[in-house]
Amino acid sequence: MTPDPQELDMLRDSAADVVARRGDLKRLRERRGTLPGFDPAQLQQMVELGWLGILVPEAQGGLGLGLTGMATVLQALGRGLMADPLPPVALGTRVLCHATGWSGAAERLALVAQGRGLPVVAWQEGLGGIDPAAIAMQALPDGDGWRLSGRKRFVAGAAAAAGYIVSARRGDGAALFWVDAQAPGLTLTQEWRADQTPSGLLGLQGVHVGAAQCIADSLAPLHPALDEAAVLASAEMLGVIEAALQMALAYMRTRVQFGRPIGSFQALQHKAADLYVQQELLRAVLQDALRSFDGGDDRTAQALVASRCKARASDAGLRVTREVIQLHGAIGYTDEHDAGLYLKRALVLAAWLGNAGAHRTRFAALQDEAAAV
Amino acid sequence: MTDSRPSSTRPAPDWNALSDDEFRRAAAEFFGTHVPPHLRFLSRRPRWAEVRDWYLTMSRHGWLVPAWPVEHGGMGLSQSKVLIYMEELERSGAPRVMDQGLMNLGPVLIARGTDEQRRRFLPSILSGEHTWCQGYSEPNAGSDLASLRTEARIEGDQFVINGQKIWTSVAFDANHMFALVRTDKTVKKQAGISFVMIDLRQSGVTVRPIRNIAGHEELCEVFLDDVRAPVSNLVGELNGGWQVAKTLLGFERIWSGSPRQSTLALLRLQKLAQASGRMDDPVFRDRYTQVTMDVLDAASAYERFAQLMRTGGSFGFEVSMLKIWATETCQRVTELMVDAAGDLGGLSGDVDVAGEAMDILYPFLDCRAFTIYGGSSQVQRNILVKNVLDLPS
Repeated sequence: MTPDPQELDMLRDSAADVVARRGDLKRLRERRGTLPGFDPAQLQQMVELGWLGILVPEAQGGLGLGLTGMATVLQALGRGLMADPLPPVALGTRVLCHATGWSGAAERLALVAQGRGLPVVAWQEGLGGIDPAAIAMQALPDGDGWRLSGRKRFVAGAAAAAGYIVSARRGDGAALFWVDAQAPGLTLTQEWRADQTPSGLLGLQGVHVGAAQCIADSLAPLHPALDEAAVLASAEMLGVIEAALQMALAYMRTRVQFGRPIGSFQALQHKAADLYVQQELLRAVLQDALRSFDGGDDRTAQALVASRCKARASDAGLRVTREVIQLHGAIGYTDEHDAGLYLKRALVLAAWLGNAGAHRTRFAALQDEAAAV
Repeated sequence: MTDSRPSSTRPAPDWNALSDDEFRRAAAEFFGTHVPPHLRFLSRRPRWAEVRDWYLTMSRHGWLVPAWPVEHGGMGLSQSKVLIYMEELERSGAPRVMDQGLMNLGPVLIARGTDEQRRRFLPSILSGEHTWCQGYSEPNAGSDLASLRTEARIEGDQFVINGQKIWTSVAFDANHMFALVRTDKTVKKQAGISFVMIDLRQSGVTVRPIRNIAGHEELCEVFLDDVRAPVSNLVGELNGGWQVAKTLLGFERIWSGSPRQSTLALLRLQKLAQASGRMDDPVFRDRYTQVTMDVLDAASAYERFAQLMRTGGSFGFEVSMLKIWATETCQRVTELMVDAAGDLGGLSGDVDVAGEAMDILYPFLDCRAFTIYGGSSQVQRNILVKNVLDLPS
């Protein structure tokens, strides 16, 4: 289901065009510390361009362009620090795609493709890193449905959500529920991420959900979706890296010290070459990961390559954006300079859905599991 | 076109018709069956006399050259299958053979040679009659290769060659050398170099081995004193050798950027860690996982370029990133191995690790060379800086 190259070129061009015409780091600065954490007009444009339907199958009114299609858009948007709220919505969309047993999935996916009713996943509680099972949220029987109580943390894109996909313990197992953003008993507060975009804290106090709101009787749809979203976050990171490195290279060509452009100094040249190596490694791993998901590899292979991809993205993103500050010298350390914006987006993306250390640990565990089979 | 395969072989199967998995099984079976047990997993580069039979076995079965086209006696494998071939070759523990003819000269002759040169030299590579070494570096032409001074002047229909080559791998087992020689001293240094094939079986050739830090004698000095080669041994144009060499460096850069050495090093590390119980140590395990991912990422990067080749796309100097990453990753793997070995990491030669003999230091010492030969890591970075990153000089 890999889309044809022409379609990808069109997506890339239109995303690059959006960045060129609407990209505005001044307004991004003005939005820092405010809700909803993205530009609503830009979201509207994303809807009009059909991007919210990229991950939605054609049968549900989407474009069905797969992970590769979405990665192409996110990479281009990442260059302009303009990806939100697509990444968290992509995660929600993919959970719905994998929730094949849920009668409400088709309708919800159709709404996503139209840009109405965005789904956001509330799967972490700050208890166990990236283990989806590390949850304490309780679902107790309540009439024909359940009553949810507990807290959720690190809910990216929460302020854009029409509803949340909430994981909860139920009896001996766990389940996923659809919770409307307006449900009584639900509260949303925010923590602030490194780039001053919001990270939702959900409080659920006896929130009632009907039987039809149970998305899955396990966490199964979450697992592949988290891997897919980790790959997509890596695609955005690649865009961030490309833009940051490009900015540093431009500076190295023009900034003069000791009577020469600083880009002529071999110490800095070789540092830049190493950053380029990291960028190209990520590009290669990302390509492998996208091929694995869109080409339908087995789940273990997908999980392994997703963790490898996110680990590389997190390490490379932080390394490149840190060194870009160093290459700029003192001006790069100022809030006024854009280098810091890239570093902070890299910090956000590196942490989201598991940083490099978390994914190394998971990769090792997956290898052990695979070896034990 | 002459069929240059030895006559005893059956017609070559169409390997590319197999799926990658099927081909991997075929390769595993071939190497598993035919690599002589006493030559597996050697911690040194064996002499030609030791591996000649194995070389001829591969040749006889049509498994000697994965990447040459079928009409020249190769397997005609796609890049992805060449990689699988290499992986299975490494996995089997097969020894390194005289491979300069297979890896470097062959592809150059196929791309840049004349029909006559291909007829004369390719079958002799396959038969093992000609063994090749590469005469590039000189004492004062290392990273700055174009400043080489070994001189070839034309007398009648012959080159007369004088000079010295150095860092020539296994020259003592080679009976031929392809070399870069200066044929014009009056022009810009790159513009006066020619690519010449030299028969080393003549007076005036002196080969002296150089002992390396791993204690082995693979590298040599080769002194050329009024050595002769027919003008028909010129590959490409006279004074066009730099271009020919660049074609070859292209092959070499992909080859030396392949993940095979780091994959092999990782297998050794894994063996050591399992034998010594270090896998259960979470600190070690995290570092082990890190280098594992680094090796796999190297494979992803290699695959990206290999795929570009397969699909007829082109790439340029950005391929330098492959060699930097693959070789430096290999070194990190071996450094972790020495570290994981603890006290054993200070012992030379085969040491006992939980009842198994392993040479801990050999991979570490051996791979010091990887970031030096074929364009050092620093030269590769310079290439990226100048040609890809477009930074000022």
